[in-house]
Amino acid sequence: MRYLIKLLAGLALLAPLAAHALDGKAILEKVDRNLEPESYESYRKLINIEPSGAKKEFIVYTVKKGRDKVVTLFLSPASDKGRSTLRQGDNMWLYIPNVGKPVRITSLQSVTGGVFNNADIMRVDYSEEYNVETIEEQGDLYLLSLKAKTGNVAYDKLKMKVDKKLTLPLEIEAYASSGMLIKTLHFKDVKDFGGGIKRPATIETDSPLYKGYQSIMLYSGLKKRVVPDEVFTQGFMPRIEELRK
Amino acid sequence: MKHAAAILTLLLAVAVPAPAEDFSFDAKEFEKKTFEFGGYLEAKQEALNQRPDRSSYALTYPNEASRNWLYRSTGTLELTGKLNLDQVVADLRLRGLYAEDTFVRTIETDKVMEGGVRWSPQQGLSFDAGKRVMRWGKGYAWSPVGFVERAKDPSDPQASREGFVMASMDWTRTFDGPISTVGFTPLIVPVKDKINGDFGKPDHINPAAKLYLLAWDTDVDLMWQGKGSKPQSFGVDFSRNLGTNLEIHGEWARMADVQRSYVDGAGNTFSRTENINSFLAGLRYLTENEVTWIAEYYRNGSGYSSIQLEDYYRFADQATAPGASASLFNKAKNLAQSGYARSNPGRDYLYLRASVSEPFNWLYTTTALTTMVNLNDGSFQITPEISYTGFTNMEIRARAIFLSNQRHTDFGEKTSSQRYEVYARYFF
Repeated sequence: MRYLIKLLAGLALLAPLAAHALDGKAILEKVDRNLEPESYESYRKLINIEPSGAKKEFIVYTVKKGRDKVVTLFLSPASDKGRSTLRQGDNMWLYIPNVGKPVRITSLQSVTGGVFNNADIMRVDYSEEYNVETIEEQGDLYLLSLKAKTGNVAYDKLKMKVDKKLTLPLEIEAYASSGMLIKTLHFKDVKDFGGGIKRPATIETDSPLYKGYQSIMLYSGLKKRVVPDEVFTQGFMPRIEELRK
Repeated sequence: MKHAAAILTLLLAVAVPAPAEDFSFDAKEFEKKTFEFGGYLEAKQEALNQRPDRSSYALTYPNEASRNWLYRSTGTLELTGKLNLDQVVADLRLRGLYAEDTFVRTIETDKVMEGGVRWSPQQGLSFDAGKRVMRWGKGYAWSPVGFVERAKDPSDPQASREGFVMASMDWTRTFDGPISTVGFTPLIVPVKDKINGDFGKPDHINPAAKLYLLAWDTDVDLMWQGKGSKPQSFGVDFSRNLGTNLEIHGEWARMADVQRSYVDGAGNTFSRTENINSFLAGLRYLTENEVTWIAEYYRNGSGYSSIQLEDYYRFADQATAPGASASLFNKAKNLAQSGYARSNPGRDYLYLRASVSEPFNWLYTTTALTTMVNLNDGSFQITPEISYTGFTNMEIRARAIFLSNQRHTDFGEKTSSQRYEVYARYFF
């Protein structure tokens, strides 16, 4: 009987620890779903700001389906209008109306210039590309350390600060495999987009590689939408405008 | 104390950053329009250092006085219009051009570069009829599988091109598994009277088709063009990303029963019917310090060896020498037009381009250095270039092209030895 009491007492002591064991994968997947539905459409304004204050703006229309399919269409400025990009997993293409055929691009290049690269503009779910290495609690935050699943992912490691209450990222630091900090993303201005989507409407980024430069991404018109798989093919790249209503 | 408080307040005011600019964005401002209109206006200035002592100069500018420099000014207006209906999209791209140089003034007012109607009953199926630029192949500077398009200029591969009148269908399906996408594009390019007169021999409908596969993360195209205005041709290409910063691509094309013209060392001209195999292998590589390399090797199956080119250049020298007969001159001119005067008449070429986006943190600036080498005779051209896109809707590019100068070699026999070019293009 004494042994049984000791065993129960021991289990009672371990119970709070078990309750606090954090499931990093589940939290990361929740972050993904809180940021966007798995399939959606959205409009974004990308703003590049130079140290002098000079700005250049791009408007892109984006449709994503499933975990790893994304298309974007440039609506503005006139010099970029009609350009489109396609991502299927690690494969990325750029279509320029004058050039006329989709050409393969890589995640580290940037179709807009500035601090955002192609992987940022055509981002797929974090849980699709990264494993959670460690997770810690720090006050109102979860601190996630993420490691790329393959060498084809743009950033080798991410350090993500997640708001515990909203399960939304507040800040992400992106590192190269050498350990060098490439950029920091700051998530701001949590907004209700309707349809149960409440997420940061502004992402600001800066980089030690581009001292004094800043790029900003503003979201609008984010809503759930499911389109056929054929949209995410090279042949459809000149026709993405047809998806807009 | 009062002063200290005032100083502290002032320091705090300086130390605390000014509130960030309040950016706003509402997608409603960018709703889809039924009719869209756009285009660009371009002003271009060129200076070409001529080679009046080369036969190519005499053949290009017969009866013109020798000049060392040729200056050319060009103004181009390209207008695009698009009508977006539910399943139907109609579009038109028109070009107007005014060009003036020392020898000639060119005015084009209503050239239709592209235009037609597309009907898309579903996302994976569309039908198209009109003048279209059907760009096949994965090569950057060359595309040997580009059977149904005007050849691109390897010195300016991204330049706008004119289409051919054609009717096509595009069918696409996606699947789970290693072959994730299949696309099929059959088309016809009719040549009759005034339609597609420069495509090839008249009175043929010229069927062609392309089968596209995305298989094991690799783009693969199989192309065919039936015998008609041009010889029957087959081709295959591929492209694949090997990492976050490396892409490889290749093309192979075979043209059957092609009539080719030759001139031998004794000045005898003759023609032969041959099967021609051309291929291309290339890569794009982005280095850690943001240099994009494009390298391509091109085997031009319809090209000439360095000895064959030398035979032609010696013959053309005789045909364009003072006192040469008109028939000899015409013979040389016909040979030039049959293939010897193409922009790349040689057999083996290397294309190498290194471009740096935003060097020294100059946002929107791209600098590039490009070289094209004829591997058979060692002649080459080298092109430094700088472009800037920082002004909204404006693109400015300046470049120079320097060609090697050795006689009786590919690049050493072009009409100019240096070319300087600057243009500003405003999009609206």
